[in-house]
Amino acid sequence: MQLYRLTLATMLQRKVWIIAFLCALIMPIVLPYLTPHESNPNLVAPARAQAAWICLWVVSIAWVFFQAARFGDDTARSGLGAYFLSTGVSRVSQMMQIWLACLTFLLPLVCITVAVCLVGAMPGDSAQAKMWIATNMQYAALFLLVIMPLMMVATSVGSRFGSTIGYLIPLCMSVYGMYGVGYLSMMTTVQDNVFLDWLYVVSPHYHLADLTPRLVFRHGSMVGSEFLQLVAYFVGIKIVLSMLSTMCFQAKPVT
Amino acid sequence: MKLTDGNPKVGLLGGLSIGYQERLAQVSDQGDIELGSGTHYLLARNGRGKTTLLRTLAGVLKPLDGGFSCEGRCQLLSEDMTFDRELPARVILKCLLKKADCKQAIELAHNLELNLVKPYGKLSTGNKRKVALLVAEFSVQEGRSDILLLDEPFTGLDAFAREIFQDLWSKRQDGVLRLVSCHPDFDSMEMESSVLISDGQIVHLSGENAPKQWGDLKIQLN
Repeated sequence: MQLYRLTLATMLQRKVWIIAFLCALIMPIVLPYLTPHESNPNLVAPARAQAAWICLWVVSIAWVFFQAARFGDDTARSGLGAYFLSTGVSRVSQMMQIWLACLTFLLPLVCITVAVCLVGAMPGDSAQAKMWIATNMQYAALFLLVIMPLMMVATSVGSRFGSTIGYLIPLCMSVYGMYGVGYLSMMTTVQDNVFLDWLYVVSPHYHLADLTPRLVFRHGSMVGSEFLQLVAYFVGIKIVLSMLSTMCFQAKPVT
Repeated sequence: MKLTDGNPKVGLLGGLSIGYQERLAQVSDQGDIELGSGTHYLLARNGRGKTTLLRTLAGVLKPLDGGFSCEGRCQLLSEDMTFDRELPARVILKCLLKKADCKQAIELAHNLELNLVKPYGKLSTGNKRKVALLVAEFSVQEGRSDILLLDEPFTGLDAFAREIFQDLWSKRQDGVLRLVSCHPDFDSMEMESSVLISDGQIVHLSGENAPKQWGDLKIQLN
């Protein structure tokens, strides 16, 4: 796990993680007060949950993906990948170690977000509180199932095509999966186009992992079967992306 | 790569051919080359295939033809290997070495006048090489066959630091096989065993009759 330790130490040394953690911690406290909370104090709690989760999405997409892509690129270009390869650390193991190091920073961010929601926005009613906890846990699970494979994509594409492309591809995929698919859905309803229908089917529906409206409008947690269906769907995407990432990752520059 | 206890071996079989798209060098069909523990110098003029041979032996590059064997744990220290520019040498050593080895490496770093707290990116070329060499040397484990493939490790190193490393190699009875590519800068440099790449042929010179000094060896290079 030498590459894991080295990647982790590099991330710590760069200190940008402080900004990421401060964002995840402070934004949900500050942003809710931009709402008309004086006239309606009940707005603060849902706004806090919304701010917390949106912050987490933004930090993950903007910072974690970039780190993952950069480490993939650096490892291949710096000769470290070849060094580890010569010592018997396989290509896949190298990718996993970089991915794990990025995940080590992502997990506390998720914990902070869930903690902010549970401490700073928990409903007073005990039945609602139970539902609130369950929804946040479901959200955390789905969020990780979406972000983790995309981090792997960032690392592997970064190692092969450089950090810029390695960053842009998972960024575009996540934005498309969150928002683009919605527009595509509208287009498929107004146009009878087989290609668009297929595109809609094969697109990653990351918007399904966004449970922010459930938290904001207190819709309650998903029923078990619905949640498991979503888990299975995202696990399927994860398997496909992991396989593609494994094929794409390279530990040394192309000669 | 095969792991054996304490007795590393590198074998270049007759007919081994190295290169990228085109062949750079090959071992003569008539004789295999076998290297055991100790320091072997890899000598050739620029662009003749020193780095390519090291990369091939490390398993990073496929040979064009023929075969080779490495019995031991390889470490390829390529000339262009770098660490993150913001990491200080101390952190790099701590991440890559075991605790006891790291302590020894830090002691040697002090002798080498290597600044351990300065970010790697701000170190001079020679000091960057020292970091990589320390990592390689102290990753070696007693009782395990270790093969160090060092690609121009002396680049940028001053004579003082180079002597420290050469002393270390001669003093350490660790049974390590070191294959060191270099361009020596003084004729009297002693080389007990050397692998030459000249006129596209890879040959091994060792034994009593083989030239032992760089001054005698360099005239054989083309």
